[in-house]
Amino acid sequence: MRNSKALILIVACVLLAAMAAPAQKRKYGRAAKTAAPPVVSPIDTNGLQGLITKQREHPLLVNFWATFCDPCREEFPDLVKIDKDYRPQSLDFVTVSLDDVTDINTGVPKFLSAMKATMPAYLLDANDPEPAIKLMDPRWSGALPATFLFNEKGEVVFKHIGRVDAAELRGAIEKLVKKGDGQ
Amino acid sequence: MKIRNLSILLVLVFVIAGAALAGEVPAPPAIGSTIEEFTLPDVDGAQRSLKSLAGKNGTVLIFIAVQCPVSNAYNERMEKLAEDYKAKGIAVIGINANVAEDAAAVKAHAAEHKLSFPILKDPGNKIADKLGASVTPEAYFLDANNKLLYHGRIDNSRNPAQVETSDLRNALDAALGDKPIEKTEAKAFGCTIKRA
Repeated sequence: MRNSKALILIVACVLLAAMAAPAQKRKYGRAAKTAAPPVVSPIDTNGLQGLITKQREHPLLVNFWATFCDPCREEFPDLVKIDKDYRPQSLDFVTVSLDDVTDINTGVPKFLSAMKATMPAYLLDANDPEPAIKLMDPRWSGALPATFLFNEKGEVVFKHIGRVDAAELRGAIEKLVKKGDGQ
Repeated sequence: MKIRNLSILLVLVFVIAGAALAGEVPAPPAIGSTIEEFTLPDVDGAQRSLKSLAGKNGTVLIFIAVQCPVSNAYNERMEKLAEDYKAKGIAVIGINANVAEDAAAVKAHAAEHKLSFPILKDPGNKIADKLGASVTPEAYFLDANNKLLYHGRIDNSRNPAQVETSDLRNALDAALGDKPIEKTEAKAFGCTIKRA
C-alpha cells in the first residue's frame, strides 16, 4: 500500500514536470520574441518609388502613419489584424511612418512593439516630404493616415485618406489575394 | 436627354454622398478666389472678424494645434513670421479648429509658447471646412482684398535646421514686391485636424 502511494506520487510529479516544461518553454520563447524591438528602416523618396513601382508577385498594401496622428494610432490594431490574416494569402504590407527621423529608434518602434506589429516598417527620411506625397498621389494633401493598395501590376486599386474602414479595406484585399496561397 | 440628365444627377449624388461618407475634407478654394469675410471667437470668447484683424497688405491664416508636435515645432517660426511681417503690413492669425482643444487650452498654450499673434477658435470647424484645411500647421495667405494667393506649408521641414524652402515667406515677399508668386501651393504636412 505504501509502495503504491509512493508510485502514484512519483507518477504525479513526472506528469506535472512534463506539463510544466513546455509551458516554461513557451513562456521564455514568447519573452525572447517580444524582447527584440521592431526594426524601422529609413526610406527616402527614391526608395519609396522603388518599393511601389518594382515588379511584384503579390499585392502590396502601404499605410502612411505617424505616432502623433490620433486616427493612425486608432486604426493600427485593425491593420495588424489585416496583416496577420492576409500575409499568409500573399499580401505584402508595409508601413511608412512620417514621424521625425529622430524617432526612428524610439517612439516609432515602441509603438509598433506595443501593437505587436510585425510587417516591414519604414520611416520617411526626407527633408521635404512633398515629393513622396506627390509620388503616392498628386491629390493627396499629406493628411494622415493614408492607405494605398496596389495590385501585382503596380496599379492603385484602393486608397483611403483618413481612418480606414477595416471591412472596406478587407473587401478590396479579398479581390486581390489568392486564397490558400503561401499557407 | 432627360434620362441622361437624370443619370448625371444620380452620379453626382453618389459622388457627393460617397465623399460625405468617407469623411473627406472639403476641397480648398482655388488660388485667386476670394475668401468670404468671417467672424470667430478668440481665446477669451470675444468675437473677432477677419476684417478687424487683417493687415493692410494682407493676412496669413495658419491652422495650428495645442498638442500636435508638428505644429509645435513651428511655434517659434510662426511667432517670428508674425513679428517680421507685422511691420510690412501683413497680419498673422492662428486658428485652432481641433474639437478636443478648448479656448482655455489654446490660451494657455499660446502663453506658454509666447505666441503673441491672435488665435481664434473655430467651433464646428466651419472655417476649416470652408478653407479645406486638413492638417496643422496649414497656411493661407490672402491679399488686402481677401484674395487667396498661397495655400500650404510654412516651409519644407518641421526641423528648423533642415529648412531649405520657406514657401510661405517666399509668397509674402513676392506679393510685397509686386512680383508673381512662383509657388502658390505646397502640400502642408502635419497632424490631421480633429473635426467636430
